[in-house]
Amino acid sequence: MAIARNIVSIAVAAAEKEGARKITRVNVVAGELRGIVPEQLVFYFGLMAENTIAGGAYLDLEITPLMVKCKQCGDKFVVKDYRYACPICQSEDIETLSGTELRVKDIEVE
Amino acid sequence: MKINVMTDILEANDRIAADNAYAFTKHRNLVLNLMSSPGAGKTTLLEKTAEALKGKLRLGVITGDIETSRDAQRLRKYKLPVVQLTTGSACHLDANMITYALPHIDLKKIDILIIENVGNLVCPAGFKLGEDYKMMMLSVTEGDEKPLKYPQMFRESSLLLINKIDLLKYTNFSLKEAKANVRRVNPKMDIIDISCTTGDGIPEWISWLNQRYQKRFGTKARA
Repeated sequence: MAIARNIVSIAVAAAEKEGARKITRVNVVAGELRGIVPEQLVFYFGLMAENTIAGGAYLDLEITPLMVKCKQCGDKFVVKDYRYACPICQSEDIETLSGTELRVKDIEVE
Repeated sequence: MKINVMTDILEANDRIAADNAYAFTKHRNLVLNLMSSPGAGKTTLLEKTAEALKGKLRLGVITGDIETSRDAQRLRKYKLPVVQLTTGSACHLDANMITYALPHIDLKKIDILIIENVGNLVCPAGFKLGEDYKMMMLSVTEGDEKPLKYPQMFRESSLLLINKIDLLKYTNFSLKEAKANVRRVNPKMDIIDISCTTGDGIPEWISWLNQRYQKRFGTKARA
């Protein structure tokens, strides 16, 4: 719910800065590890957007995979099923590249 | 028309968390964000910790509860500084709630602050509070597959206390399986088996706290 509320306020602030009157679409990027439940977020977004210029806007969620880099051999791979070990050298010393982000990418306005 | 935004949704929270962390560091407070499902034994752990730390490190507690102040009442008899946050419908604590709690706790008079989050394995993981470490409790009456179901929280925590090990024989919880699942999600996590009822593992947990405190602030006595 706090996430939905923040999305609405970020989108409304960005739209007002550009002098837009209505937001038609909000594109959000959410990393897989954020554990966002799309149906739930869309529901709360609709609720929070009511009576704002984002009311009725379409919320698009792009879920990014958990992408990591092995610090030993430099191999980049997607973590599936939470197996955090490098498929090449089996090292568990890895760095997260994507999959934890949560941001409003862009909005479409009228 | 398309407008480029690229704004982090949790940025506002992270900024406030950084302010909290600054206040904690200034007062030499080691701060832990304690998370678990409801009923894992967080409040009982705090009672045992208060007893074990008496005369050593000074403990303070901020506890989040959706409606009641029962947790705080249980802890008051240990003469600890305790702040109860009633979150209403919110299923997690956020950095701003901690900022509101700070004037009610004298940070100069404590060494360790444990923030007892709302019992929930999902939402609290996304919100930094200004802590040094996130830690979790899992009880053997839950399931050994929990780390795979709630990876984000296990991924971000530094310590796991597996509680109620005195009940192991009455459950089909496998310690081995649970630990393998934790390792899969977070190979670096420290794990301590405890029982708040029998006191098993409590000395190991207290020594973890001591080590982390010394690592952060050294062994020198406070000015």
